[in-house]
Amino acid sequence: MRKFILVTLAIFPLAIASAQEAAPAPNSSPASAVSNATPASAADVEALRQQVQSLTETVKTLQQQVKDQQAALEKANFAGEAPPPQNPEPSPIAGAAGSPAPAASAPPRFPTEDTSVVSSTTAPAVSGTPAPGSFPTTDTSVVTSAPETISSSGAGASLAQPITIGGGKNYMNISFDGLFALAYSSARDLDHIEVGDHDPQQRGFNARNIELAFDGAVDPYFEGFANIVFKLDNDNKTEVEVEEAFLQTTSLPFNLQLKAGQFFAAFGRINPTHPHTWDFADAPLVHGRLLGPDGLRGVGAQISWIVPVPWYSQVIFAVQNGRGGTGYSFRNPGDGGIFFGRMTTDREARGLQDFVWIPRWENSVDLSPTQVVLAGASGAFGSNETGANSRTQIYGGDFLYKWKSSHAEGGFPFVKWQTEVMYRRFEAGRGMNESFPVAETFHDWGMYSQVMWGFKKGWVVGVRGDYLYDTDSHFTDDPDRQTRSRISANLTWYPTEFSKIRLQYNHDFLEENFFLAGRDVDSVFLQFEFILGSHGAHKF
Amino acid sequence: MKKILLILSAILACGFSAHAKLNVVATLPDFGSLAREVGGDKVEVVTLAKATEDPHFVDARPSFVVSMRNADVLIDGGAELEIGWLPPLLQNARNPKIEIGKPGRVEASAGVRLMNVPTNVTRAAGDVHALGNPHFTVDPIIAKAIAQHIAQSFSTLDAANAAVYDANYKKFEATINAKLQEWGAALLPFKGLNVVAYHDSWVYFAHRFGLNIDIFLEPKPGIPPSPSHLTEVIAQMKAQKIKVILVEPFHDRRIAEKVASATGAKVVDFAQFPGGLPGTDNYVKLIDTLVSRLAAALK
Repeated sequence: MRKFILVTLAIFPLAIASAQEAAPAPNSSPASAVSNATPASAADVEALRQQVQSLTETVKTLQQQVKDQQAALEKANFAGEAPPPQNPEPSPIAGAAGSPAPAASAPPRFPTEDTSVVSSTTAPAVSGTPAPGSFPTTDTSVVTSAPETISSSGAGASLAQPITIGGGKNYMNISFDGLFALAYSSARDLDHIEVGDHDPQQRGFNARNIELAFDGAVDPYFEGFANIVFKLDNDNKTEVEVEEAFLQTTSLPFNLQLKAGQFFAAFGRINPTHPHTWDFADAPLVHGRLLGPDGLRGVGAQISWIVPVPWYSQVIFAVQNGRGGTGYSFRNPGDGGIFFGRMTTDREARGLQDFVWIPRWENSVDLSPTQVVLAGASGAFGSNETGANSRTQIYGGDFLYKWKSSHAEGGFPFVKWQTEVMYRRFEAGRGMNESFPVAETFHDWGMYSQVMWGFKKGWVVGVRGDYLYDTDSHFTDDPDRQTRSRISANLTWYPTEFSKIRLQYNHDFLEENFFLAGRDVDSVFLQFEFILGSHGAHKF
Repeated sequence: MKKILLILSAILACGFSAHAKLNVVATLPDFGSLAREVGGDKVEVVTLAKATEDPHFVDARPSFVVSMRNADVLIDGGAELEIGWLPPLLQNARNPKIEIGKPGRVEASAGVRLMNVPTNVTRAAGDVHALGNPHFTVDPIIAKAIAQHIAQSFSTLDAANAAVYDANYKKFEATINAKLQEWGAALLPFKGLNVVAYHDSWVYFAHRFGLNIDIFLEPKPGIPPSPSHLTEVIAQMKAQKIKVILVEPFHDRRIAEKVASATGAKVVDFAQFPGGLPGTDNYVKLIDTLVSRLAAALK
């Protein structure tokens, strides 16, 4: 290995020297080539020509040799030996040779080229008609990897490139995320207090979101994503969830993008995101109760369009089956065939009205270089299973304000305020075979508002207020339809962006009711997380 | 309905016709500055990250999507410095012109031999970059190579102005070549000296000017300084008589000042990006400032 370097180094100056001599040959301008010569005879010229020719040959063979050496070097480097920039001082000869600017009369003392850092600047002809001398090729004697320089995906960057996840040379990114919580609650049945499926469900340890994530370019037309979630239930049995698996187009015209597969509906801010990116250890009440414990997601298709206006404006429109627990307020057969007290119909789709239609429009502007606001309106419309023709409509509004210091380190300090409001109109029918005494229409609504303050690199403190109003039904005592409110506070430490430790306190206000005996509940969670594999880039 | 269609088509027309100049988006201000040098008044340059913020962690704000949607050229580092925020922007921008491999995509690291390529990539070593240290533009020779790639991209996309880009690039190259003489001379007396930095952003700068910047206040890249590590650094600085600590605008200067007062060293404000220090609105001025500040502090 060392020998190669030595040999290469020995050859470089030689080649350069020859190149310098040979350089004027092609333009055969006597003025520059043989300026000190007296008017030459034809024989002299012939002799010179021959000499130049032989020199050119020499240079060619030398170049070939250099190329070979270089190839060998690269191979050696791939085998994991010394990284290239261990090269000694830049050779002054290379510097002198490399600046072909004819204007420079005296050779510069300080080197202005360095082949040990810039592997090759030789590029294919730039424009159709390159002016003579356009983009001087710095040093033809060290053409290392010309074809690699421009177009490859960062591959031309280094000679030694580890083949590893996150290191560039892979067909897909793989990451693994483990999210755990140690929970204490004054309520024994924490699974009734917490509304989200990935929230802590019992006193003690919880592993509700252990996730494998894959993503990558499928081909020049699509990108693919998949999130497979494993969770342990309260009896430590493993459940598997295909949380998301979809493909997305990359280059449709007119700023359009299509998405198809299993995916989270773009409804509000919490719903489309995975629990590990949440600012709190549990889902907001309104999210868990109106969109569902698992959020609103399902198999379907989505089209989105970035509206060509000067600010950020995106229209998203999705359709999903909306069936089962992940279509909670829609075609959800419920627990044991009962939902909101009714025996559900659990039928096949009869027509387009039985799918869930999910529009969203979001807009964002930068108030200043450090402040951004984003506001969105969402809807979800479809049928539900409590009656032959009962419908559900959910409307949502969301707002985000974020300030981040112009001197932020690691993304800190920042202040983020996020609020979502949702309203659900739910036509509760009389159930299968008209078995329930009445048909009702529920007008349920709720909201949460949270402020997160990243006060120091890696440290975030947050507070959240939650409110949920469910129409009182005299005919059912469903615990999932209880009006509730909650305040939460937490402190999170991110040692790096790949791990976090979060301490959260919840106080749930519970009214006197059939199920939680009207006693307020205090809960404390210690959440911890780690991520292996590719870097989790965050959407805004 | 007709009215709506009219308005829509007007908007679309605006979107498509505003192409008098090349729209260039640079992820970082150093690339933005080089793009301005090469493009002159033929291009419109938008820079995403701020010169004073940590380039590893930039918010992928929605307005960036709008800039990238309209871009004819995207210049990024290509060495994973922006990996925490660029991928979702690219996904959402849905702009085929700036895909990797297209002339509208300039990956600055192409053709640059990155230093400190880890042989074994483990995050136990902190925020290491698998492809090598990505803070390379502070080496003027590398900056020339990047400028050249930018010129190639511009010329390909806007052949009518190829001669202008060519001339601008040559002018920049000549300036750098001349300036290198000045900079080299100014730092020559300090060749081989050790300098401490907060973060490992200066390996290319050090390599260029013959300095050693191998001691950092961060125990590992991206990990905040710990008391025990600082004690070690202070001991090293005393033993090696190190006189200078380099901090960037987004670093906690108080930590550096503490170390400085314990060792008698000076804290010198450094920045990787034009605009990160007062009076450095372009690349050459930035390196001018870095060199003169460092030379003054080392005297």
